Amino acid sequence: MNIFYRKLFLLIPFTLVALFLTACNAASAPDAESNEPLLILEWTGYEATEYPEYFLPFTEKYGETINDVLEYSFFGDDSEALARMQAGVEADLVHPCRSWWGLYVDQGLVQPIDTSRLTNWDGVPDELKELGQFNGEQYFIPWDWGYESILVRNDLVQDVPDSWSDLWDPQYEGRVSMIDASDVAFIIGSLSLGFDPWNTTPEQNEAVKQQLIALRPNLLNYWVDYTETYDLPASGDAWVVAGAWQDAYGYLTDEGYDVSYIDPVEGRIGWMCGYAIGSKAKNIDRTYEFLNAALDPQSQANMANDFWYGVSNFDAIPMIDEKVIELLNVSDFDSFFNETVFYQPLTEEQRQQFSAIWNEVKASQ
Amino acid sequence: MSDYVNQVTHPVTNSRTTNKESAIPRSLLGSLIGPTWIWLVLFMLLPMLLMFLMTFRTEAFNWREWEFTFENYRKFIETPSYHRLLLRSVWMAFVVAALSVVAAYPVAYVVAFQAGRWRNLMIMLLIVPAMSSFLLRVLAWRIILGSSGLLSTVLLGLGIIDEAAPILLYTPTAVIITLVYVWLPFAALPIAVALNQIEPNLLEAASDLGAKPYATFLRITLPLSMPGVIAAFLFVFIPTLGEYVTPALVGGPEGVMIGNIIWDQFSRALNWPMGALLSMAMLLIVLIPAGFISLYSKISRERAGNYD
Repeated sequence: MNIFYRKLFLLIPFTLVALFLTACNAASAPDAESNEPLLILEWTGYEATEYPEYFLPFTEKYGETINDVLEYSFFGDDSEALARMQAGVEADLVHPCRSWWGLYVDQGLVQPIDTSRLTNWDGVPDELKELGQFNGEQYFIPWDWGYESILVRNDLVQDVPDSWSDLWDPQYEGRVSMIDASDVAFIIGSLSLGFDPWNTTPEQNEAVKQQLIALRPNLLNYWVDYTETYDLPASGDAWVVAGAWQDAYGYLTDEGYDVSYIDPVEGRIGWMCGYAIGSKAKNIDRTYEFLNAALDPQSQANMANDFWYGVSNFDAIPMIDEKVIELLNVSDFDSFFNETVFYQPLTEEQRQQFSAIWNEVKASQ
Repeated sequence: MSDYVNQVTHPVTNSRTTNKESAIPRSLLGSLIGPTWIWLVLFMLLPMLLMFLMTFRTEAFNWREWEFTFENYRKFIETPSYHRLLLRSVWMAFVVAALSVVAAYPVAYVVAFQAGRWRNLMIMLLIVPAMSSFLLRVLAWRIILGSSGLLSTVLLGLGIIDEAAPILLYTPTAVIITLVYVWLPFAALPIAVALNQIEPNLLEAASDLGAKPYATFLRITLPLSMPGVIAAFLFVFIPTLGEYVTPALVGGPEGVMIGNIIWDQFSRALNWPMGALLSMAMLLIVLIPAGFISLYSKISRERAGNYD
C-alpha cells in the first residue's frame, strides 16, 4: 500500500465520525416554532399516548394528534432519570420519586411551579402538597403513591408477622423474598431496629448493615422485578415478600390466594412519585395543560382502579372502587398520613451511603 | 485471541492463507477490513479508554471538572467483600466452564465420529434450544426447581421430602446448573470441529501398533482436540464471569456475582467510577487465562513446526 492510500485509509474513520456528528447536530438543531412536542421523561407504562385514560382532558382534546404534542423518553430507574437530566436532556416534565426530589432541586434541574395555574390543585390535601415543597416553593406535584410492606401467604406460615423486625424470625428461614433496592432495604433495616431511617448516626448505619447481613439465613432471594412479587408467593417459593407493593396483594387475592398485606407496627413505607417542570422547559403553557389533566379526578380514579395505586387528588376518591380504597387505607386521611412512613428526600451523601451499604450486604458471605 | 480462535477452527486452512495473502492486493484487503477497524476503534478501544479514565474520577458526569484521584482504588482495596465476590465469580465461571466442557465432550465425540449421516441433524438439534430466548431458558429452571415444580413434586410423591420446597433453587448451584445447560451446545461445537479434523489415519495407525482404545484416546484424540477444548472453555468462561441475569433470577442471596454489583454500580448507585473499576478488574482476570492460552498455542505451534 503506497503512502497516499495509507493516508486516505486513515481518513475514513474520521470522515465518518465527522459526518455522524454533523448529522446529530442537524437533527438536534433548535426548532424555533413553539408547537414542538412536550418532552416527558417518564417511567414505562405511564405514557398518555398508550394510556389516554389517565390524562383524559389532555388526550381527549388532542385525540389523534396526541403523538404530535407529546414525546416520551423512558427510564427504568430513578437513577437513570437523574443521570439523563444531569447529562443535559431538556425535558419539559420529569416524573421521579420522592427520595430523589431534593437532588433535582439542589442541582437546579427543575423549576418552581406556579400552583395558581393548576385547576385541580384544591383537591390535593395540604399534607401531600407539602411533600413536594423545597425552600418554600412547590417544585413537585405529587401524583401517584403506594405502599411498600410485607406480603404473606397466610396458609403457609405459622404466624403472620406484624412488625418489620419479624422478618428476622427464624420460622421464615429461607422463605423471605427481599426487595433489591438500597433505599428500601436501608429503611426496612432501620425501622426494624427502631431508628429514624433519614437521621442515622454512623454507628446506626453500621448496625443497619449488620442487621441486613443477619437477614441472610431467612432469605430466599432478592426480587428485582415486581412480577416476582406475584410469582414467588403464588408458587409457594416465598412465604413472605418484603417491600412488596399493594398491587401484588390485589393480584393475588383476585387469583384466590390466601394472602395478607401487613400493616406493620412501625408503619408501612410509602413511596410517592410526581411531576416537576425541567429548568430548561420550552413549552410552559402546554406543560401546565398536561399537569391539569394529570390531576383530573376521573383520570386519577382510572389509574387507582387499574393499578391499585394511590392518587394525590382526593376528589377522585368517590370514583374509586371500594376494595381499592380499603387496601389503600385512605378513608380516614389523618390516620393514613400519620401511620405511613413516607420516603424523605435523600441527600447525595445519604444516597451514596445507602447504595454502598446495600452493595456490601449483597457482596458479603 | 481472535487469531487463536481462527487457528482453532481452521487449523489447516490457516497455514495456506498465509501463503496466499500476496495474491490479494493489500489496498483491497485494507479497505475490506476498514469497517471492522472503525468499529473496533469507535465501539471498543475508545469506550475502554473512557472507562479506564473513569476509574480515576469521583463522578460519572461533568467531564469539564477533572479531578484525578486514586480514591476508587483505595476503596476497592479496602473492601474485602469485593475481593471475595471477584474470587467467587472466577470460581463459579471456572466450574461452569469446566463442567460444560466435560459434559460437551462426549456429545462432540459422538457428533464427530459416530453420527455418520445423522451428523448435520445432530448439530441442528444442538443448536435448536439456543434459538429460544436466553431469559426463557433461565426462567424454565425456576419452574423445574421451584417448589411447585417438577423436581419438588416428584420428590414429594416419592416421599423423599415432606413439604413442597424449592430444590437447589436460589443457590449458586442453581446458577451453575442453569449456565451449564445454556452453554453446553456452544461448548460442544468447537470440540466437535477439532475432533473432526483429526486424521483417521492416526487412529488407525495407533490401533495397528496395538494401542488400546483408551490409550488411543488419551494419547492421540484428546491431545489433538485440546485446541477445541480450550476454545470451548473460553467460550463459556468469559461470558459466565460477567453474568448478572442468571444469578439475579436463580442465584438467591449466596449466588450474587460480580456482574450484579457492576450492574448496580452503573444503573442504580450511579457510581460509574467504581463500576468501571470493577469492570476493569474483571477484564484483567479474563486476560490472564487468555494470555496462557495464546502462550500454549504458540508453544504447540512451534512444536508442530518441529514435526514438519
